[in-house]
Amino acid sequence: MMIAFSAASVLGQQAKAPQFVLRDINGRTVRLSDHKGKVVLINFWATWCPPCRAEMPDLVKLQREYAREGLQIIGITYPPEKLDRVRRFARNLKVNYPIILGTRQLKARFSSEETLPQTVVINRDGKVSEIISGILLHEEFDEKIKPLLMKNGEGEIRNVKTDH
Amino acid sequence: MLRRITNLVVGGVLVLTLGVITAAAFTKTVTIKVEGMKCAKCSGSVAKALKATEGVETAEVSSDKGEAVIKYDDQKLDETKLREVINKTGFKAVEQPSQ
Repeated sequence: MMIAFSAASVLGQQAKAPQFVLRDINGRTVRLSDHKGKVVLINFWATWCPPCRAEMPDLVKLQREYAREGLQIIGITYPPEKLDRVRRFARNLKVNYPIILGTRQLKARFSSEETLPQTVVINRDGKVSEIISGILLHEEFDEKIKPLLMKNGEGEIRNVKTDH
Repeated sequence: MLRRITNLVVGGVLVLTLGVITAAAFTKTVTIKVEGMKCAKCSGSVAKALKATEGVETAEVSSDKGEAVIKYDDQKLDETKLREVINKTGFKAVEQPSQ
């Protein structure tokens, strides 16, 4: 599944997000660099993790509602899982964003913390603005992600819907 | 003057005591059994969601014991709401007779 990813980096807030080129569960190539200028959420999850499963319908909804504002979610399974199980799961939930089968190595590029789910928030400049441990709460989306969506590439304020 | 100061101090103490008693009267502690918390990696979401809920003062969640001990203000929410918050994290709050 993995094609390539960048050299090791220590990730802290405002660190440049490690670049990767991977194939998703449908065989499509996913490059982080393709989403330059967007707000990217990299969601580490597992099919056996109840909070991960619980938050996925919300992520699907957020992807649908905020795509026009420049939100792009990328799901990465962690630890490694079987492709057919992940595919079935994604199909049942009508997941509308790319899902990649992750590896321990890939996860370690972003965070050493083992909590699941875990969401790495990357701003429009390609920098890590936040690593959210545990289920993504609506309040967290409003406080930590929506402000990033409100700014365009030049840092100007845009109109972003207020409900989700 | 001295009498006035004494009255003020006594009044202040009374108000403070009443406030503490009232706050204590509204604070309840409940232990809720939670099914499915087999992985310590993911049970943190239960405590996170509970602590983010208005009216919850403390929430101690143990995946080993499979339970959540929650101290909350019963003027702001009740056990039903606490169970809803737990269930929304993907685990199941087990119904049991009130203690």
